[in-house]
Amino acid sequence: MGFALIVLIAAPLVAGLLSLGTRTRRAMEWLQCAHAVVLLAAMSVVVMDVAEGSVITVGILLRADALSAFMDLMLAFVGATGLLYALGYMGEEFTRGHVLHRRYTRFFCLFNLYLFAMLLAANVDNIALMWIAIEGSTLSAALLIGFEKTKAALEAGWKYIILSFVGIALALFGTVLTYYASEHVLGVSMEALRWEELYRVAPDLNPIALKLAFVFVLIGYGTKAGIAPMHTWLPDAHGEAPTPVSAMLSGLMLNLALYAVLRFKSIVDRAVGVDFTGPILLVLGLLSVTIAAILLLAQRDYKRLFAYSSIEHVGITLVGFGVGGPIGIFGGLFHMLNHALAKSTAFYAAGMVLLRRGHKTIERVTGLVRQMPLVGGSMMLAALALAGMPPFGLFVSEVLIATEAYGQHPWVAYVFLCLLAVAFATLLYQVSRMAMGEPMEADIPVTDRTRRFTASALVANLAAMGYAGTHMPGFLRGLFLPMTRLFGVEMEIP
Amino acid sequence: MGVIHPDIASQMVDLCAALLLLTCFAIVAQRRLSACVDLFALQSAFLAATAALVAFLTGIHHIYIAALLTVVIKVIVIPRILKKVIERLNVTRELVLTVNIPPALLICGALVILAFYITQPIISLGFLLTKDSLAISLSIVLIGFFTMIARKKAVTQVVGFLVMENGLFLGATAAAYGMPLIVELGVFFDVLVAGLIIGIFTHRLQDTFDSVDTSKLTELKE
Amino acid sequence: MIESALIILSQAIAALLVSPFIVGLIRKVKARLQCRQGASVIQPYYDLSKLFRKDVVVSTNTSWIFTATPYILFASTLTASLLVPIFLSKVPMNFAGDVIAVVYLLALGTFFLILAGLDAGSAFGGMGSSREAIVASLTEPAMILSIFAVGLTAGSTNLSTIVHKTALLQDIVTDPPPHLMAFVALFIVTLAETGRVPVDNPATHLELTMIHEAMVLEYSGRYLALVEWASALKLLLFLTLLSNIFAPWGIATEAEPSWMALGMLVWLAKVSGLAVVIGVIESMFAKLRLFRVTDLLGVAFILSLLAVVFFYILRV
Repeated sequence: MGFALIVLIAAPLVAGLLSLGTRTRRAMEWLQCAHAVVLLAAMSVVVMDVAEGSVITVGILLRADALSAFMDLMLAFVGATGLLYALGYMGEEFTRGHVLHRRYTRFFCLFNLYLFAMLLAANVDNIALMWIAIEGSTLSAALLIGFEKTKAALEAGWKYIILSFVGIALALFGTVLTYYASEHVLGVSMEALRWEELYRVAPDLNPIALKLAFVFVLIGYGTKAGIAPMHTWLPDAHGEAPTPVSAMLSGLMLNLALYAVLRFKSIVDRAVGVDFTGPILLVLGLLSVTIAAILLLAQRDYKRLFAYSSIEHVGITLVGFGVGGPIGIFGGLFHMLNHALAKSTAFYAAGMVLLRRGHKTIERVTGLVRQMPLVGGSMMLAALALAGMPPFGLFVSEVLIATEAYGQHPWVAYVFLCLLAVAFATLLYQVSRMAMGEPMEADIPVTDRTRRFTASALVANLAAMGYAGTHMPGFLRGLFLPMTRLFGVEMEIP
Repeated sequence: MGVIHPDIASQMVDLCAALLLLTCFAIVAQRRLSACVDLFALQSAFLAATAALVAFLTGIHHIYIAALLTVVIKVIVIPRILKKVIERLNVTRELVLTVNIPPALLICGALVILAFYITQPIISLGFLLTKDSLAISLSIVLIGFFTMIARKKAVTQVVGFLVMENGLFLGATAAAYGMPLIVELGVFFDVLVAGLIIGIFTHRLQDTFDSVDTSKLTELKE
Repeated sequence: MIESALIILSQAIAALLVSPFIVGLIRKVKARLQCRQGASVIQPYYDLSKLFRKDVVVSTNTSWIFTATPYILFASTLTASLLVPIFLSKVPMNFAGDVIAVVYLLALGTFFLILAGLDAGSAFGGMGSSREAIVASLTEPAMILSIFAVGLTAGSTNLSTIVHKTALLQDIVTDPPPHLMAFVALFIVTLAETGRVPVDNPATHLELTMIHEAMVLEYSGRYLALVEWASALKLLLFLTLLSNIFAPWGIATEAEPSWMALGMLVWLAKVSGLAVVIGVIESMFAKLRLFRVTDLLGVAFILSLLAVVFFYILRV
């Protein structure tokens, strides 16, 4: 099964290099569709295998346990629909002449390299190589955010570079500290950097060094995850990046950064117990939700609106891990998955609105459902999901987290629910203003080809959202059990 | 390590680490951009010397490669790129400072003390060879971080980032005897690409805003 | 008793004789770096002897301070240099005071020089005095702290004890980072206190830049000779501090004539080396604007403070 894992990681790299050689839009479409199919196929093999209870390893470099496979599931699925969507979105920009052919191919090359770096980070069996892969994703993301070369895009790109480079440097210090602690037990070797070995010797590691390492890692990767107060780059980057990139930033990269934090948490917890990491995550989570809930109302730009909603959901996930316990951990993980699906759907729809209206102002957009039923409808559905309405998965995870929080610290649950109510109201208010009513502006037509690609991405995402909210398929059950065990809790899946 | 008394060896490494810290202060107190870049190159040279010294004292040979790469990338290539950028942008002086130099120095002093305070409990974990270098590397990381915040010119922010990297590398080499070679190669590759990307961005900033003063980036705010 | 008196006398003579040579050496190094032949290194001796033979012109507006200052300055600087170990680690004048006494003897001279600059009532003198006051007030804490940082490692503020213990490497804590910081701080202090580039330029009489030269502008004849000699002594004293506190090796630890002769040679080599370094620095750097001097002295202050703090952090 190691082969499938290698294919899964290598596919974006190969596709990225090949895409530089494509001459026409059609060739690019074939290439990227094939890429998406390969991603999905390899991912299903990996996920099914891991769900059976095995751990896939390739040499000493790659290792996919349940948590990695869970990330693979999100990365490959959202990555595949993202590729379809990008074919439509960038194809439209290309057809309109906004993007020249050279930049069109360069975009896909970067986009694929970005996916490659994220998939590598999720599966590599080495804390330092994971850092390198995440830094790689930061670098490609920086170029993608500044892709449009407008003043605002440059500013967003620069902010992203400065903040995430600082963050990633602090994360490296945390990594070095972890290595410093582990090489005392394991000796100066590659072994001292491997997850497997770290889990094994975690109880013997120096607790103070690990605590310090966790603080640095949390600040570092937390910057990339958009945790308040390190979130300031996030709305700018999401607002100014080309929309397919915004969808990947929100749906995938935030989760990947959280994944890195969670990996370290699972080690630190083994060494010093949950009482150290739990409260830190809880406080930062509540802070993120608070800031996002307040600023959601102030947004006039719909892409920034969804960006703030991402900060809110990262905060909710952190609260889940912060309160801990089987329900909290499960809730947090489940929230990550559903947020990835719902937020990418929301951005896909927002990108279509941008293409057909040519601006990002909420007030000037009305009557989306009437004018473009699929786009408007899916934006409304995504907003309902993001606001936490049943039957979507985010409702389930939010209720689970609130329940667990109530059991441990009732006041946390009260604050949490109040903030969720505020976010619920503002998000739905803002989105329904756009979706409902009579259209006031003329539509800029898009080509049928664009429509086909974006529609298939939207439909696939909506279907997955609905399915994940109402069912718990066997393979997910098979992933969740070992994942919660990784965090030291045992749970029964409902 | 048999040749040299461990106590003396430890002091030699600490001395090299302290030289890195000193150049940090010089960078904070320096207003001229090109001098900042020169000081960064000097600091990287000290870093390479520290790495070579650690390699010699411990007999771990791959640290020599890291030292060599430091010389090539951080002493020669990146300062060259930055000098080119400065030349093109025609900015030599940094007149805009968010924090004036004397208070900035005081803050950096406080950061150093903080770094020593934080790392004090885990220094006892370390090998005898490198008693203070973990604390010094954290100080350098924090000072680099502060430089990024306190300076407004894009180029000095970059120097701040590179200083942070130097601090990290010192931590990895002197405190942890170097990461495995593949990791170090990866880190070097990333730093080089990061330098290039930052170079690209400063060019674009100059083209679009006619300035590399990042306080002019005010389009996006709440 | 007689032995002690002889040592004190020889130390005073050594300091007095070597100090003009150091000034001449720095000038020679600068001249050579500028591709000039330059004056001979013994030129300052000729200058001094010429000035001593010249008449003195004293402004009628001045008070007794103006005429007393050269003597006070010269005497205080010479006394300070007797407290510093030069070629023998245990100075006979040891009982008279420790490092604090050295610092305040120097400050006393500076204080009178500032007053004298104001006393003549000329515009330049006042300007020089106010600038000197700024620089002196900024260097003093850095100087005291950097010597304290070394004193802490030897457990004493007595210069003889510090030098003696360091020379023998007995009962001291050696730790490079604080030593290095204290050294750099004291070096910057030396540049500032003795009026060298980049703080002051001893070679110009440009009204916009001069500090020390502006204060002594009214002096002539033997008064000027005394002031110049005192400033040369001060320079030598700082160089001696730098070399003997941080690297005293080679200094005589016993009052044996042969050891002392060796100590004398080693000391000459060390201060000449430092003088060459100063000459190179003066050729490499431009003078800082007065308002930027605080940046440089800020560095010295922070480094010396850190050096002291390190001692406490690292020894806990």
